Amino acid sequence: MSPPRSRGTAAPPGVDLAALLALVAKGDQLAFEAVYDRVCAPVFGTVRSVVRDPGLSEEVTQEVFVEVWRAASRFDAGKGSPMAWVATIAHRRAVDRVRSEQRSAERDRRAASSVIAYDDVAETVEDNLDRQRVRRCLGTLTDLQREAVTLAYYAGYTYREVARLLGVPAGTVNTRMRDGLIRLRDCLGAGR
Amino acid sequence: MRGRPEPHTLAGAYAMDALDGRDRVWFERHLARCQECAREVSGLHEATARLAAAAAAQPPPALKELLRAETARTRQLPPDITGSRATSARRRGAAGPAGSRRGRTRRPGRVPRLALTLAGIAVLAGIAVWAVTGTSRLAGAAPHSSAIVAVLTAPDMTTISARVRTGGTATVVMSQRERSLVFAAADLRALPASQCYELWLVGPGLDQPAGLLPMPSHRMTGPVIASGLRSGDKLGLTVEPATGSRHPTTPMLLVLAL
Repeated sequence: MSPPRSRGTAAPPGVDLAALLALVAKGDQLAFEAVYDRVCAPVFGTVRSVVRDPGLSEEVTQEVFVEVWRAASRFDAGKGSPMAWVATIAHRRAVDRVRSEQRSAERDRRAASSVIAYDDVAETVEDNLDRQRVRRCLGTLTDLQREAVTLAYYAGYTYREVARLLGVPAGTVNTRMRDGLIRLRDCLGAGR
Repeated sequence: MRGRPEPHTLAGAYAMDALDGRDRVWFERHLARCQECAREVSGLHEATARLAAAAAAQPPPALKELLRAETARTRQLPPDITGSRATSARRRGAAGPAGSRRGRTRRPGRVPRLALTLAGIAVLAGIAVWAVTGTSRLAGAAPHSSAIVAVLTAPDMTTISARVRTGGTATVVMSQRERSLVFAAADLRALPASQCYELWLVGPGLDQPAGLLPMPSHRMTGPVIASGLRSGDKLGLTVEPATGSRHPTTPMLLVLAL
């Protein structure tokens, strides 16, 4: 038997995500709902861009939040931002689900439709400040860096698949992914 | 084994989950002992979080209701207090959610030798690759693959490796939450066609058959899944007639406390 859970008290909008997660770790369901409200859009958007299927995207999003609920005590603010923690869970779940479920033929078909994954994603989401910044920063990357990053992140491909799609050696893709992300991080001021 | 790039160059691919099962396991092993890489990955995850924010889209409102019900019946993990703080924190910080998944992996002390550990990892990586590619080595195994994936991706996943008395290495990936384990082995002694290996869940006063192992392929046996774990169960392995037995008829070649 787990201890009875309090519903908790409604968190004021100013309370930061890390503090909310600390409450979630203690079983506070209202804090969990506040976390959900703050991060559900990035989570769902990311999952959907990788998974594509709307029903499956909802299912994976649900799994992501159950995981956030379960593992809230494992979040360590000293190791990264809460948003990075949640987004990492979300992206990995989405990617793992796609890789375990999709036959290679299906994925090849998908490849054709999502080579310009980022633009595709961009059309279906509301324009927001984050998107404008990311778009601007993606624009500072070389073509190969940008393609490697968007195919891996938004379409969920492995670097070997990206290499095949772009017709470049896997080692080159690796270094472009890393260089591209470092450049993005610096451009977005996302470094710590 | 495919050619491995220099691990440092993989940080970007890792941060974007662009490593497949085998590469991911390999890189995470490297991360666990490379603090600088862990720091870099953590910084790159801040960048990928911004990529996530840029893709923001509102989920259907019903999802929140579903989650309200789901969290009400889902037990939460206690804080991770196992292992030295430095090690577990580094691993966790580096590997994100998977790190916490691996946080409960048994102490190296349980695994006698480095060679054995490496063999176990190779088997595990094999399972992971098998599971994610869905390439079935077992006749009729397709319905099992999702159960296998469920164990391999369970937050409380634990891995144990041990030698089999007559030769070979067994690796067990177990999830108490799923009440299931995935068994795989490498280099088991070959058996005549009249015999096969059988798994047992050895409980107090009761040995329950847990499945026959298929013929090996490329020196690898399995993976097979065994469900219905009870607390206190051990895993046993014996040689039985090819059709299997209801109770072990030969000495245990392996007994693993789960």
